[in-house]
Amino acid sequence: MFTVRTRIKIPPRAINAHRRPIIYIKHRTMAAPISTAMDSLSAALKSNIIPNQEYLLQGSVLDSAVEVLLHRLRGLCDNVDSGPETFHDHEMCFSIRRGPPPEQPLLLRVRRALDYQDMPWQLRYIGQPELGDKSRPTIVRSSIDIATSNSVVEFLTELGCRLDFEYIVRGYMFRKGRMKVTVSKIFKMGQGKLPESVEPISQSYLVELSVLAPSGQDAIAEDMRIFAEQLRPLVQLEKIDYKRLVH
Amino acid sequence: MEQLQTALTAIKVLRSSVGQVFDSLGSGLRAEHGDENKETKYLLELQELLTTVNVNLRDVEQAVSSLNPPPGPFNLASTAYLSQETTQERQALYGTLVNSYKWTDKVHEYSNVAQALLSQNSLKRSYTNSNRTKRGRIQTSSHNVSPQQVDSLISTFDRQFNDMTVSVSRPFASNAVLHVTLGHVLKAVIAFKGLMIERVVVTGYGETMDLWTESRHKVFRKVTENAHAAMLHFYSPALPELAVRSFMTWFHSLINLFSEPCKRCGLHLHSALPPTWRDFRTLEPYHQECKP
Amino acid sequence: MGVTVLQQFPMTENRTGPQTIEFLTKRIVALGAVQTGQFLVDCETYMSVPQLGVQKTVHVLHNSEQPASVFAVLESGSKVVPLIADGLFDLLMLKMTSIYTSKKQTKIESKGPRFEIGDFCVKLGSVTMSQNFKGVLVEVEYRPCVVPGSAWDLMREFLQGFIGSVVPNQAPQYLQNRMNDIYQPMDTIQQYLEHFGQYRKTTGVI
Repeated sequence: MFTVRTRIKIPPRAINAHRRPIIYIKHRTMAAPISTAMDSLSAALKSNIIPNQEYLLQGSVLDSAVEVLLHRLRGLCDNVDSGPETFHDHEMCFSIRRGPPPEQPLLLRVRRALDYQDMPWQLRYIGQPELGDKSRPTIVRSSIDIATSNSVVEFLTELGCRLDFEYIVRGYMFRKGRMKVTVSKIFKMGQGKLPESVEPISQSYLVELSVLAPSGQDAIAEDMRIFAEQLRPLVQLEKIDYKRLVH
Repeated sequence: MEQLQTALTAIKVLRSSVGQVFDSLGSGLRAEHGDENKETKYLLELQELLTTVNVNLRDVEQAVSSLNPPPGPFNLASTAYLSQETTQERQALYGTLVNSYKWTDKVHEYSNVAQALLSQNSLKRSYTNSNRTKRGRIQTSSHNVSPQQVDSLISTFDRQFNDMTVSVSRPFASNAVLHVTLGHVLKAVIAFKGLMIERVVVTGYGETMDLWTESRHKVFRKVTENAHAAMLHFYSPALPELAVRSFMTWFHSLINLFSEPCKRCGLHLHSALPPTWRDFRTLEPYHQECKP
Repeated sequence: MGVTVLQQFPMTENRTGPQTIEFLTKRIVALGAVQTGQFLVDCETYMSVPQLGVQKTVHVLHNSEQPASVFAVLESGSKVVPLIADGLFDLLMLKMTSIYTSKKQTKIESKGPRFEIGDFCVKLGSVTMSQNFKGVLVEVEYRPCVVPGSAWDLMREFLQGFIGSVVPNQAPQYLQNRMNDIYQPMDTIQQYLEHFGQYRKTTGVI
């Protein structure tokens, strides 16, 4: 026999408690049915608001010429109030394959910030570039960016992924509207944990101009090409054909 | 005087000739230049104008070099009095005098009434002793102490309890603000005025700590209210250090907020709240409704 | 995120699932609780293809309490690796269907009303696996406290107050190993996974 052990006097405030705004939880009306996360994801996919494509242009500039490029970018871009934003990241590339070589492996990248240890890690899936017509000004490939907790490397290893290679990137990041420009230097992983004296793999900086957008917004590629023109004599940003690099 | 005059005229002439240069640059090739050799005529005109500018510049430099700087500050003589209005009829002195007299009268009246009302509250903590017989003796003030005294007192608490960590900051000039963490149970901000505790805010372990935002959880809001009651209970103008020490001991007893049941009813929960009251002498936990 | 405890409520012969939920709702409302909407915790399981060798399982869970996060638990042999990611992780799992396939029949979820009383948050969930009702799972969260060791007695008292004597005197096994750690949302998900696993076994699937 169930007996109510505690005799509760409901104070008048509690009756209106559900009308008080609850800041930390989305306030749902009691009548609305709840939707699963997969439902809202498919709804978002259908209405084309998920940024799952990357438009990319790449180029490089020698160490001796990078200062001029940085000055030019400071003049052109938005986020340079207190000096250009620097970043220092460690990137690892994993691949997982279903079977022997004829099968294409699935490539995944994990990036973490070495200068901000508490930030989430970034897991990135990058697909094959679209074999569009030659008139497309930029590389277009599908890309999914996921923020994760710091157990992602262990997770991927146990999943069956193999670490293909890893490197350290250090450079500057600029933004113009939706476009992101990074000027970065790639370093080889040093022996031991991560000592400061890592060696660079080349005498130049990699310059990348990229935009993450939902599929179908090809007009952004044109904007990117125009911006690349403005950097033209300093650095040639163009789309690289990866097939020619693979032997 | 004369030289000043010549210098000023020379500058005016220079200004106008420079203005002419820009005018002609701005209008460019005009119809008066004719059809043939337009460009050469234009360039000649420009050259002429620029030579005039040069000549005028030389004039200005000559005129300025013949001036001597004025000795010392300028004597304004009687023009200095232009900034003062001295005619008495022009000033509304009488009107403002009457207004300020009325205002002070009102202040006297209101303060009399307020004093009568506030003296009925026995929980007030006055900064001055209203008892006139103690006049002449030096008052032990609890809010006018040096920061070092406050710091030394606070460092004793840090050492006294090992599950309570205390850190001091001084965002408000010389008055200390304490950030206290009690185990993994709660966090609190205690604001001091000298050696006297002015305000306590208690929040949960995971929440952001701010002097002004209340906690999200009912239990910590209740604990904040109880902490204010304790703060008033432990107030003693004669022994401010003892007061703060007793308050901190009382505060430390909140470490078993969730683990100890109420001494009177033996249960953990009463109207969905754990025992938030701690008896001031025995430090035993009681529910708000069960307290003796 | 406060300490959360899950408790299975036993079904009796003369009551169906919805009737049980209504019965519990009446009890909790009598204590003064207020309904604040619905909640949903669901779990989908992906198994690795045989070519990958040893069988590995990835459970992907969502909790409406943390709507912007996706929880993933990987079990390979005896090793368990948890991961918290944002909403697009589901898209990634869809891309990996050739390597990790999902068996739609094993999708299991706990759904129902959500109540708040004082600083407690009570959720009465009906557990269903592809439209088949499996049982009633009650979740109680005490938000102010983040250490299970200090909150367990308090929560047991609360649970007994409205569920009755079904509640064991000892804390659930999962919490017993973590009595003095700070509670994390991942702990709630692990508890759900344990219970879902038990529900799955009741009909012999997995």
